[in-house]
Amino acid sequence: MTESPHEVGGFAETSRGPLSKPAVKVDRLEKTLGSNHVLRGISFEARSGEIFGLLGPNGAGKTTTLRVICTLLTPDAGSVEVLGYGTRVSPQEVRRRVGVVTAEIGIYPRLTARENISYFAELSGLMDGEVHRRVDAVIDRLDMSSFAQQRAESLSSGQKQKVAIARAIVHDPPVLMFDEPTSNLDVLASREIREFMLESKGRGKSVIFSTHVLHDAERLCDRVTIIHQGRVVASGATAEVRGGFKDLEDSFLSLVGAAG
Amino acid sequence: MNPIAVVFKKEMLEILRDRRTLIAIGLAVIATPAVLFIISQVATKTATQAYTVGYAGDVPTGLDILFDATGLKLEKVDAPAEAAKQQVDIGLVFTASGVDEYYDPSRQTAQLADVRFQTVLSRYDAAKVAAALQQKGVDPSILNPLPVSVHPLSSPTQAASNSFLSFFLPYILITMSFTGGLSAALDASAGERERKTLESLLLTPVPRSQVLVGKILAVSTISLAAALAAIASMLIALSRIQFGGGTFSAQLSPVATIVMVWAAILLASFRQGQAYATPLYFITIFPASIVLFIPDFNPNIAYYLIPIFNAVLLLRDAIAHNAVGWEQLAVTSVSLILTGTLSFYAALKLFTREALLVRS
Repeated sequence: MTESPHEVGGFAETSRGPLSKPAVKVDRLEKTLGSNHVLRGISFEARSGEIFGLLGPNGAGKTTTLRVICTLLTPDAGSVEVLGYGTRVSPQEVRRRVGVVTAEIGIYPRLTARENISYFAELSGLMDGEVHRRVDAVIDRLDMSSFAQQRAESLSSGQKQKVAIARAIVHDPPVLMFDEPTSNLDVLASREIREFMLESKGRGKSVIFSTHVLHDAERLCDRVTIIHQGRVVASGATAEVRGGFKDLEDSFLSLVGAAG
Repeated sequence: MNPIAVVFKKEMLEILRDRRTLIAIGLAVIATPAVLFIISQVATKTATQAYTVGYAGDVPTGLDILFDATGLKLEKVDAPAEAAKQQVDIGLVFTASGVDEYYDPSRQTAQLADVRFQTVLSRYDAAKVAAALQQKGVDPSILNPLPVSVHPLSSPTQAASNSFLSFFLPYILITMSFTGGLSAALDASAGERERKTLESLLLTPVPRSQVLVGKILAVSTISLAAALAAIASMLIALSRIQFGGGTFSAQLSPVATIVMVWAAILLASFRQGQAYATPLYFITIFPASIVLFIPDFNPNIAYYLIPIFNAVLLLRDAIAHNAVGWEQLAVTSVSLILTGTLSFYAALKLFTREALLVRS
């Protein structure tokens, strides 16, 4: 198989040009679910070629923010743009450009690992010939050959998580979002996820990493935004947000404490 | 590949790998023949079963031959009234002035033996009277001053068969249409949420309506396959099984078969509105059961507007009368298609609700 000059392992290198144009732009986002005012004016930008940390305690609004970005939820106010496409106007264009990995590994148990990935490749609009090529590439990239033909119900948690990642990246989206991706995984599987995020950043992807594990965030993220009770309490380069504190956790506790 | 086809192909693959669905279809195939076989066995047993008559005294000459010919077995007992409680089906005491009969109406065998005994007695009485008249030189036909010649417009055995099938088959078909695809329908709708795959599915750029159409087509295909399998096995069973000890065979006319397949197609499209179709099924099927047992129930056209119930009525018409009215067929079809369309929109609304994701 011959790769184009811009492809590595079947995946396109995303342009890492000037950082002036954000890959994801979230502007004064508001969202109420039931009687719960979850997001109260969240704003941030995530760029290509960086890992952007969306941090905060459980219930802060991280998952809701990601769901609004990927068009699963509609904002009550504010706007989201993904590579120039607004989520309200062009939700399908946004979905084509986003891949999401969550803690909940939902895959079809009666399909094989390969069939699971192929299904999402086909739904993402890849052409028939391209589907096989991309599925092969992603199986190879995530080292899944040994279990690709096994039914998902017989796979280990780590293997299932790989299927979930493969499903999210098979259409080679320029924006990847990870929502607490390691919370149900063992040490080895968690490490592979972290390495994968770094590798994706190296390929010029915009990686949004939502977590409450601040140790991971500090090691991986170039920039972070900390949200608490639906509001942004800090935003900037990881080192800036850490400030004079020993680590990000102390800074976070200080900020959250200050925010009440 | 078209997204609808992609979803359909994947759903079919999952359904065919699901043992529950295959078991449901297997049950649909064997349930009807099994029920028909049991009914035929019961009918055969009832028709050919001999009943025991415990008697005391002297049986009049000739009556014993009639008893034997109608499957009543005579057995001499000391106390017929006591024996009729359990030991025999009826007890008879023959005296010089007549016969005393003892039987327990709460026992079904006693009731059936009594009916046969009354038939035997009336034949015996008629033969005795005719012989006495003949002895006195009187033509016995005087007892029958207005002879009646019966000319049935349709086969009485076929009519009995159709009447039996018209009560039985609509329920079987409708139940199979609903239960055959039940597991698949639940799997394709609520299953996505339970398996946590819904979010990933909705994240694809495919419009949700197309995802839903692909799912509906797959579930409808399975429901239809289950119903057609039930119809096929039913037709085979009806051609092989004899009822009432061979006294009649139940047959389905081509009209009834076509209407049955048409009803199955319309009902299969209901599976999309799983959340609404099942309550509708229970709301309509039980009143239908009662109404259909009202003698000479002749529904007006408004009854054919009620979904599911109208399918029962249409099938009843097709089976019992070997014909359906165009008006009834049209109203039923429009009603079922309309209900199917509403089910689709209801399912689409459910499928696109934000609350669905928030709950998950």
